[in-house]
Amino acid sequence: MFRQKSLPYVFLVPTILILMILAFVPLGYAINLSFRNMTLFRPDSSYVGFENFVNLWSDRRFLNALWVSAKWQVITVTATMLAAVFLGVLMFETLSPRQRNIMCLIFLVPVLLPRVCAAFVWRFAFHPLYGIFTYPYRAITGEPLEILSNPNLALWAVAYVDLWQWGFFFAVIIVKLLEALPHQPIEAARLDHARTWEIHAYITLPMLRAQLVALTLIKAIESLRSFDLIYVMTRGGPGISTETLDMYAFSQGFIEAGRISYASSMAVIMLLLTIIIFTIIWKRVRA
Amino acid sequence: MNNIINRLAGSVSSVAIATSMVGATGLMLAPGSALAQDGPVCTSPVRILAQPRDGLTLLEEYAAEFEELSGALFQIDYMNEGDRRVRSQADASLIGRYNIYYVDEANLAQFASSNWIVPLMPHYPAEYDFDDFDPGRVATATYDDTVWFAPIMGGGDLLVYRTDLMEAAGLEPPETLDELFEVVAALHDPANGIYGIGLRGQRGSGANVWRWMPYFKGMGGEWFVDGEPAMNSDAGVQATKTYLDLFEYSAPGTRTGSWDESTGAFRAGQIALIIESAPLAGITLDSTQSQVADRVGFAKPPAPLTGGGFAHGFAIGERANQSDAERDCAGLWIAWATSREQELRRLEIGQAGELNRQSIFASDLFAETFGEGLPAALTETAEVTQVNFWQHANWPELGNHWGIILEELITGTRDDIPAALAELEAFAANLSD
Repeated sequence: MFRQKSLPYVFLVPTILILMILAFVPLGYAINLSFRNMTLFRPDSSYVGFENFVNLWSDRRFLNALWVSAKWQVITVTATMLAAVFLGVLMFETLSPRQRNIMCLIFLVPVLLPRVCAAFVWRFAFHPLYGIFTYPYRAITGEPLEILSNPNLALWAVAYVDLWQWGFFFAVIIVKLLEALPHQPIEAARLDHARTWEIHAYITLPMLRAQLVALTLIKAIESLRSFDLIYVMTRGGPGISTETLDMYAFSQGFIEAGRISYASSMAVIMLLLTIIIFTIIWKRVRA
Repeated sequence: MNNIINRLAGSVSSVAIATSMVGATGLMLAPGSALAQDGPVCTSPVRILAQPRDGLTLLEEYAAEFEELSGALFQIDYMNEGDRRVRSQADASLIGRYNIYYVDEANLAQFASSNWIVPLMPHYPAEYDFDDFDPGRVATATYDDTVWFAPIMGGGDLLVYRTDLMEAAGLEPPETLDELFEVVAALHDPANGIYGIGLRGQRGSGANVWRWMPYFKGMGGEWFVDGEPAMNSDAGVQATKTYLDLFEYSAPGTRTGSWDESTGAFRAGQIALIIESAPLAGITLDSTQSQVADRVGFAKPPAPLTGGGFAHGFAIGERANQSDAERDCAGLWIAWATSREQELRRLEIGQAGELNRQSIFASDLFAETFGEGLPAALTETAEVTQVNFWQHANWPELGNHWGIILEELITGTRDDIPAALAELEAFAANLSD
């Protein structure tokens, strides 16, 4: 009896302990740093209370980074989910199971490409003189098309690459979810002469509501970690037009200034915002 | 510890004797033979963080030579300039994975004042003749009266131009800024895939700011006057305006482009002229890297531009080399990698970008390899070359901050130059507090 009761703890306790150490030690360190004035160039530091947090609100680049991050989240998550649902339904409705499997295999390729490689490939594709993406514009107008140097286009271009990687992958997941649904409600709707879009709008997608919400949250978390993509493609530029919070924090911590306490305060704010926003979304969805 | 130092000192004195007996040509073998008697200097592979250089690729072919000399191999990890700066800063301050860092004029003060690197000369074997290095590069490698790195490349700026385009248009290389605008406008022909000039717009103290500084300093600008920030001056405004105006003729992609984009476009034959750091000259003459190798000429930058004096080189990391023996090992690698013999090897295959020794510049082989044009231009540009940046540990922070503002101006997300410079001054005032 004792063995049976203790066995779960034998497996769980070490795992949870390791996870807690991995998660909470760096977190505690970051929070501690955020209340200090440590830089990479000065080993000694002291506690400065909330000074770093107060300074952030008068830092135009931080405020800009907040806004860019919000735009980035909305654009990439919305675009990925819309594209994935559209492609998933399209494949489900128009292709045979065998064709769907082939398409799924092809759709998996972009996400298998390491993020940094994808960023380099697309940065070159967007090059105004040599890029394949800009070639049609050059061929038609005779003028180069500067996408990544244009503050109005750069964020959209990077978001497009994110969509290219994740939209296809999520489409594969959605088509597999659709295939796993019971056939009876769909057949019943078809017998009642429901249109295709009605079947999906009123039957299949509502049946997949929980899974779609989970996918949306997964994508939202993934979008928060797009540092490598943005760093390689634009480095936050032109100017600060694609500078997200993580990009700016890294920039302050390691590229420009070595102000790791200041960077940590941004990380802490990002963590708090993420927890609060995700909790609200999760609760509303469950309600 | 003392034993190791004594053994190394013994090696060095043996080398000195051997060198004096066999002459300069025996230099490369002498350290090896001396060390073979006293045991290896290095006990583990030397780890180096660097940015890609043709000379380093060549160096790797001779790894066995270093192993024989020191008792260990080496491993170079390459990163492009921006990433190398970031990574070396993080590694030097927190980790200490690398024994040797590739440092440059822009971050030398920061690395030295933070004690991330150690003085070079106590660990640099005397037989490698440090005094042979070009004095300008040595001056740039010196901070607070101490030499911190041995140069792998350096120099000032050169005007590199397409001779065929210039001749076809009946133009001469520009000698003043007014002439520069005239020539650039005359040669700018986007319909035929030729752009007047190649500039750098990408943010960074060593990127767009580096190329903007010759205008700023040439027009009389100063970073600080009597300890107070002084960038928002007539010179600052005029320099910035001039640089922005020139972008009208710069190749597409250069507004957020780095060295790679601007020099790449020149080497691909899409740019008429470019003012860049001197190592570009050798690269453009190398037909394996340049489509215009047979159509380039060189001159000093138009007046009043100052050539941006710079030097990159190798320094001994403090964190990864806690003992003197480890530092001696790193110092030996640096001396070997920057030796006259390595420079001769580079010169023999036409690599002009990474030559730094006076004896090499004065050699017959140098004149034979590069003709008269390049050496003459290098001599001329040396006269106007000066240190343009603020020589202070906070330079990277100030330079990088201005780099972002300048990129905003270049890409049009802001257009008020005095306001931009005023913002820089306010930032600088906080830094110097």
